[in-house]
Amino acid sequence: MRRYEMISIFRPGLGEDEVNAIVENTRKIIEDDQGTVICCARWGMKKLAYPIKKEKQGLYYFYEYTASPAAISEIGRKFRIDDNVLKYLTVKIADDISAEELQAAIADNGKRHAAFLRDESAESAAVPEADAPADDDSDLATETVSE
Amino acid sequence: MQQGKQPKKLFARKKVCRFCTDKELTINYKDAKTLTGFVSERGKIIPRRIIGTCATHQRRLSEAVKRARHIALLPYAGNPQE
Repeated sequence: MRRYEMISIFRPGLGEDEVNAIVENTRKIIEDDQGTVICCARWGMKKLAYPIKKEKQGLYYFYEYTASPAAISEIGRKFRIDDNVLKYLTVKIADDISAEELQAAIADNGKRHAAFLRDESAESAAVPEADAPADDDSDLATETVSE
Repeated sequence: MQQGKQPKKLFARKKVCRFCTDKELTINYKDAKTLTGFVSERGKIIPRRIIGTCATHQRRLSEAVKRARHIALLPYAGNPQE
């Protein structure tokens, strides 16, 4: 299993249900392929550096997981079909991950992301989205699933 | 030879790689704040000969900037007026 991280940008006008549906779908693809979701964090609404599909803002989601290349291409295919996903980026972190490393990654994930989000919320205070910091807090307890 | 030496001495300033001197500073495509220090106002990557980063770090930096651009954290072409 390879270790990946992925960022996806959703359309800002989406309802909670639609966003959750996409996130769950992604999780399902990973798990059907014997992968593991290490973390799934909501970065919240951010201003895009350039408009994508005529949208100036986007809802950022960050995932970290282990999966096989086949699952990655399947996720990419789904994202490209789905009009609500503005853009996505998958980056391979490691070619292989051992069971212990995986457990360690899951354990230390919450902390790392809490720190990252704190930096981000200070920076993105100018973004006209008042409820973003509140949302971040509720999602800090990142859902983790172990094998 | 002397003619050539004089202006060099006046303008030469030792450039150091910021990532080598500051170990705390890491290159990460998700950290747009740090990366903005290494791109021009227009959003172009500042060349190594000007900013002085070492070859290793410049390579990682350019990779990070390109990833950040892809995911709309940094502009491909920034407009200073905006």
